[in-house]
Amino acid sequence: MSPSRTRRRATLLWALVSSAALASCARQAPPPATPPATTTLPAVRYEAHLAAGGIPPEGAMLHNPHQGDAAVAKSGALLFTAMNCDGCHGGGGSGWVGPDLAAGRWRYGGADAEVFYSIYYGRPKGMPAFGGTLGVEGVWTLVTYLRSLPRPADLPTESWGSK
Amino acid sequence: MSRAALFALLVCLGAAAGDRAQAAPTERPAGDDGQWTMPAKDYAATRYSGLADITRQNARSLHPVWTFSTGVLGGHEGQPLVVGDTMYVVTPWPNVLYAFDLTREGYPLRWKYRPEVSANAIGVSCCDIVNRGPFYADGKIVYNLLDGHTVAVDAHSGRELWKTQIADMGEGETVTMAPLVVKDRVIVGASGGEFGIYGWIKGLDLATGQTVWTARNLGPDSDMRARTDTFKPPYDHGADLGASSWANDSWRTGGAPVWGFISYDPELDLFYYGTGNASPYNPEQRLGDNKWSASVLARHPADGALVWAYQFTPHDNWDYDATGTMILADLTIGGQPVKALVHFDKNGFAYTLDRASGRVLLARAFAPVNWARAVDLNTGRPQLEPSKQTGVSRGNVKGICPSLEGGVSPSSPAAYSPRTHLFYTSTNNLCMDYAASHATRLKGTPYVGVTSPYIPGPGGYLGTFMAWDAASGRKVWENREPFPTWSGALVTAGDVAFYGTLDGWFKSVDARTGEVLSKFKVGSGVVGNPITYRAPDGRQYVAVYAGLGGDWALLSGDTRSDDPTDVRAPADFLPDIARHTSQGGIIWIFSL
Repeated sequence: MSPSRTRRRATLLWALVSSAALASCARQAPPPATPPATTTLPAVRYEAHLAAGGIPPEGAMLHNPHQGDAAVAKSGALLFTAMNCDGCHGGGGSGWVGPDLAAGRWRYGGADAEVFYSIYYGRPKGMPAFGGTLGVEGVWTLVTYLRSLPRPADLPTESWGSK
Repeated sequence: MSRAALFALLVCLGAAAGDRAQAAPTERPAGDDGQWTMPAKDYAATRYSGLADITRQNARSLHPVWTFSTGVLGGHEGQPLVVGDTMYVVTPWPNVLYAFDLTREGYPLRWKYRPEVSANAIGVSCCDIVNRGPFYADGKIVYNLLDGHTVAVDAHSGRELWKTQIADMGEGETVTMAPLVVKDRVIVGASGGEFGIYGWIKGLDLATGQTVWTARNLGPDSDMRARTDTFKPPYDHGADLGASSWANDSWRTGGAPVWGFISYDPELDLFYYGTGNASPYNPEQRLGDNKWSASVLARHPADGALVWAYQFTPHDNWDYDATGTMILADLTIGGQPVKALVHFDKNGFAYTLDRASGRVLLARAFAPVNWARAVDLNTGRPQLEPSKQTGVSRGNVKGICPSLEGGVSPSSPAAYSPRTHLFYTSTNNLCMDYAASHATRLKGTPYVGVTSPYIPGPGGYLGTFMAWDAASGRKVWENREPFPTWSGALVTAGDVAFYGTLDGWFKSVDARTGEVLSKFKVGSGVVGNPITYRAPDGRQYVAVYAGLGGDWALLSGDTRSDDPTDVRAPADFLPDIARHTSQGGIIWIFSL
């Protein structure tokens, strides 16, 4: 299958599963303030990284146009399954061969922009780049879903007592 | 169905230990050179050693004499090789190959080989980054890299002789299986039953690594190297069964991967291997029998020609891969000598087949089974239990036994002793709920479509190690374990069997009764396969890997400690495994 056919098929798929998200976008007056998928995205600055000399490099913090939008988060939940994210990260992002995405601890940073970059461009150790298939809007929809997951209390201690 | 009725279908438990009066000692195979040069010890995949220094009388004094950290945390499946005075060990990804000098104190390395292996393979592996071991032939150590390559390394110098790409990670293919070398052919296959691959097996040239033939495990006859004049499946007729048994051309993404062990019969010149599950897990996306997923196939090694095939689980509804080992043994059944193939399937039945024709001689449940009542020997087909069939339209189907971890994992190969005439295997005692959902095929991402939480099986234990009489289809003894048992088996001419447990015990047992003779806590759960060998000092040793992994490391997310950003709750069906073990790869050697 040629790349262009793959892309068309995936785009169609995305259109099908994201109808709810698009409806939700339509309700919001301002359109997303993000560049279209075809332009180069600005470099993101990682707040969690150490900066040599204490001077962080130039870089933008991307803004999630759907931050806190429950309807978009709901669409993202459908997308999470439809794009097979659950196949590696488990149902509800609870972790499988890929890391847990619900626990509130993040390998590559948990800010919206950092999660966006992880999904859009992929990561080492086999996280595929979904930006080509989902585009900017699709990735923000997933980010919105992941950020909406209820954070369990972070309990660093697991205790078995003296039984 | 009530719980009582549910388990009325289950296999009855084994008779009391020591009731097998007819198991008189028989002839020992002529000689054993004390080496372990191929994954399953011999072409028949018996994992039986003729060494007998360690006996059931003296095994109580077994103790560790050497350990080595592999420096790798993934699940340490597979087994070492011992060739001459060198031990070879392949680690999980990044697939380091170590060569230990057994002639010197402390077994220092002669060399180690560190191939360049893509880290992307980690994410394309369904179920941990495992490797099931190397094969020695013609001065070469041959093994597979997770990212889809086969390599041959000079056994003496450690120099890479050839490296061939066999699989495509972009299609969801990775390679975890142990190759088989027959004459000048290297037989290899790919994992990817959770990624909708078009499953295959290949024959490479041992000298150069070049691919000589490729045969699909499903699809049209031309792709499968099945010719109508030479392909004779015992129960089926017609052309292109591997395509016509899949609705809507679903064979193109139908899975049927190869990720276990292969055996070979030199007289028939046939090699035998099992294929994995049909993709996706939602069976309503691939109506039909889905041949030849969840099957055993017999081929000629030189050209890959398919001779027969038998499907254990038609239209797999439960992820019942048939990639478990196929042990070749000459048995006496009903007074008649039989060239048999014995296989413990994920679907919970133990099969005894005629390995020349593929016909089923015997099929009995060895673990709790309720998806089928029995196997019809006239048709070779399971008699299905209607309430345990799955699919999107059936919603959440509860209480299916076995779970998709299998009555036994294909990762846990059985052993056969020609002295006791018994087969030895680990088992799992788990059931599951199965809620199928529509799966989307997106290349290089999972193609699954199920939520399937596990439930402990009946009886208050999660695994066993047991002895099985494949001539009568009867369990002879079993040792129950608190956790699923996931190691391979080893049995010796000293009538001692060996296995490890998920909570990290390595045990030797009396092969006739199951009585535990020795046990030692080896630092991490055992999912590898013990071997035995005679070292240059003339003594018999037993080696095994510790290194929890495979599905268990994924399910029990609290058994890892290396990533502070990945902290998970324990699995509800084995809540305290992390109390007893965490990940870590260690090679252990024991002796008297």
